Amino acid sequence: MATVQHTFLSSLVHRSWFPLATALMLSVIDVAIPMPATAADRLVVYSGRAERLIKPVLDAFQATSGVQIDLLSSGTTELVNRLHAEGERTPADVFITNDVGSLEHARALSLLQPLDGKMFDGKIPETFRSPDNSWIGLSGRFWIVVYNTTLVNPADITSLFDLADPRWRGKIAIPNAGSEYLQAGVSVIKATHGDQRTQQFLEGLKANAGTQVYGKSSQIVDAVAKGQAAIGVVNHYYVYRHLESQPGAPIAALMPDQQEGGMGAIVNAAGIGVVARSRHTDLARRLIEFLISPQGQKMFAELNKEYPLNPDVPADPALPPRHSFRTSTVQLVRLGELREPTMTLIERVGLR
Amino acid sequence: MTAAARQAFPASLSLLGITVAGLIFLPLAYIISLAVSTQPAVWTRLWQTRIPELLWNTATLAGGVAIGTLILGVSLAWLVVRLEFPGRRFWEWALVLPLTMPTYVLAYVYSYALGIGGPVEHIWQRVAGPQSHVFSPQSYAGATLVMTLDTFPLVYLLARAALLNLNVSFEEVARVCGLTRLGIIFRVTLPLLRPALVAGLSLVMLYVVSDFGAVSLLRYQTFTYAVYQQMTGRYDHSAAAVLSLILVVFALIFLLAERWFRRRSRFYQTTGRYRAAPRKPCGLLGSAAITVYLGTIFGCAFLLPALLLLKWTLATIAQGTLDSRFWGFVWNSAMLSGVAATAAILLGTPLAYLATRRSARLNVLCLQAAYAGYVLPGPVGALAILLLFSQFAPFLYGTVVILIVAYVVHFLPAGLQTMEPALHQLTPTLEEAARSLGASAMETIRRITLPLVQGGFVAAWVLIFLQCMKELPATLLLRPVGFDTLAVRVWLEASEEYFQLAAPPAFLIVLLSLPALLLLLARDWRSA
Repeated sequence: MATVQHTFLSSLVHRSWFPLATALMLSVIDVAIPMPATAADRLVVYSGRAERLIKPVLDAFQATSGVQIDLLSSGTTELVNRLHAEGERTPADVFITNDVGSLEHARALSLLQPLDGKMFDGKIPETFRSPDNSWIGLSGRFWIVVYNTTLVNPADITSLFDLADPRWRGKIAIPNAGSEYLQAGVSVIKATHGDQRTQQFLEGLKANAGTQVYGKSSQIVDAVAKGQAAIGVVNHYYVYRHLESQPGAPIAALMPDQQEGGMGAIVNAAGIGVVARSRHTDLARRLIEFLISPQGQKMFAELNKEYPLNPDVPADPALPPRHSFRTSTVQLVRLGELREPTMTLIERVGLR
Repeated sequence: MTAAARQAFPASLSLLGITVAGLIFLPLAYIISLAVSTQPAVWTRLWQTRIPELLWNTATLAGGVAIGTLILGVSLAWLVVRLEFPGRRFWEWALVLPLTMPTYVLAYVYSYALGIGGPVEHIWQRVAGPQSHVFSPQSYAGATLVMTLDTFPLVYLLARAALLNLNVSFEEVARVCGLTRLGIIFRVTLPLLRPALVAGLSLVMLYVVSDFGAVSLLRYQTFTYAVYQQMTGRYDHSAAAVLSLILVVFALIFLLAERWFRRRSRFYQTTGRYRAAPRKPCGLLGSAAITVYLGTIFGCAFLLPALLLLKWTLATIAQGTLDSRFWGFVWNSAMLSGVAATAAILLGTPLAYLATRRSARLNVLCLQAAYAGYVLPGPVGALAILLLFSQFAPFLYGTVVILIVAYVVHFLPAGLQTMEPALHQLTPTLEEAARSLGASAMETIRRITLPLVQGGFVAAWVLIFLQCMKELPATLLLRPVGFDTLAVRVWLEASEEYFQLAAPPAFLIVLLSLPALLLLLARDWRSA
């Protein structure tokens, strides 16, 4: 590219005052275009998981294995779009996200490659893997209700559907429609209760939230802690993280839909897949082996107070024990196919 | 150079001009074709869901800000032009300074100041009791306040210039004919100011509908923010394209209105008997009242936010959190902006040259096409360029090249506006003389044209450079992963409510915007 541009430009500006500027510009462009990693012991990781939550684990892997990791963090959907656009030229070897729906979507676009299932037996339950093992869950996360303990009596809320009640008008904080957690949550509700009931729920939720629609879940927990909102819907760890940094905060988590016949808590998983075009499949497999080992699982989950999926690894004691609540029976793998219809529904309701 | 080459030169230059203009125009054409070819089902769905809300939000915000800036802009211009009071000359300049605050900086300062537990609430609770709250900055009122404080100088500048040009005889005649003082203002002065005011308001509204920084930080849903959310949250970009097209139409209306009325205001001139109005001196009480009024607005729009940023920046330095990463962001910003500004000048030169020297219809058309960037608000331009590249040059996806292209498309118009007059001021006879003395076309450009227009071109470079430093939405959407600039850092830290961490890059951006403002003013400022 640079050479083509160079001859083209230099023919234009021959013997004028431009060559210096042009040369400077081109040299800068040359430096700035990231070159795909070519070294044999390098692994390029695209991560939709925040850098803060993934880098320490990758650093640990780098230290023990000697494999150099190049980490690129960004939004999950942006990364799927990017992998898709880069196609065969992608420098990525591994894709990590916080949302199974996005992984399944990437699999459906043939962006991931299947792995040998034997690797995971006894380590990651099958419900947290795609049927062909194109992606593997690494940690569990639950979509829960956070409430301000001075403003709300927890007995008033048993189900997510209670949040659509007009009594909460102006008191609920929700994530925006771009949030993968919201999309996954709505997909599960839709798969369990059907379109009409889900739409009614979303309309109520929208009316109750008003302008309190946030781009980040940490902001929702913050708003609830400050009393700006009474109730919020977030992934469980945001609450426990907030409580860890500010132990006196007047907030608590509530696991919804545990009542008789209720749909159970909505679960999603952070997971990993090997990019179809990766030329370092062996290294990628070693990384995955590390991440599902007891040591890797402990680190991965504990950094963010999530639930390890390896049954041998206990969860953070601050979290409610994994067997103390019921989980939705909607299969995780369906989150991929449910996503577009869910988005249409979300848009029809006019959530932002 | 041979005679044949000499002959071929203008043609090849024309060709180059057409190519550049075509490339610059391409994103706009692409987004239009994409939106038009989108399935009707998507249009219907969007009409039933998002569009009414977005239209309402965008229109009411633009309307609210227009009213606010009109009141502030006209009253301030009136005070500094028609009255005499201590410090008048200082205020005349100071009132322009809010233009150095990018909207996302002001929005972030206000989301802290007006937020729950913020200083304004603190003061208010002392007055109105511990349970009372001020209005939330994340609301219509908050967005209107921030945008008004940020853009009123645009109206102020135009109103001031128009008041200075106003012939006082009109008002005197009205007075002689028995109109009251208030009657004169509403029936003579304001109508005479009308073209300037409409031009100023159109400019303000163009700003409002194109703004991404403030509405995203204040979570106020307008078209720019909706396009951004579609782009980052969806796999399919057709809805984003539809929303973009509507936004482009909005922007185009305000742009044309601004052009039209500005031209009219320019020719609204007077006969040879022009006399400026005398300044009325103010008494002690009047001066005090005026100073309080001006000081409040200046404080809210510039001084207090700037001081707060300075305080936070110093605190960050004292805590040692200003690490080497920060200088990495400075370098990223400077490198990108420098390359983009250079590229824009290189590409803009043939366009400006052709349009001023050989103003054939085709060449002027090329120049007009290059102004396309004005009606492509940040997220829309980013969307068009992203889709173009992923279709035709996917290997550049995720590199800085794509970002530089976005900057050039977006800021070339501003650069052209500075380069064009510079070329206009140069008389063609000088070039003709050079040619008749045997210099080749290239030599003429190098030895005659370039040295004479250098000043204007350097100004254009600086202007584009500084605009690029501030640019937020396109950078956010197109930057290589992990490649942050100062503007991106302000936005990221502010949207996570790390207010203090956002301050050093914000403060630096405000500082760097000062020279750009001075350059712009030097072009239009007429001293009183």
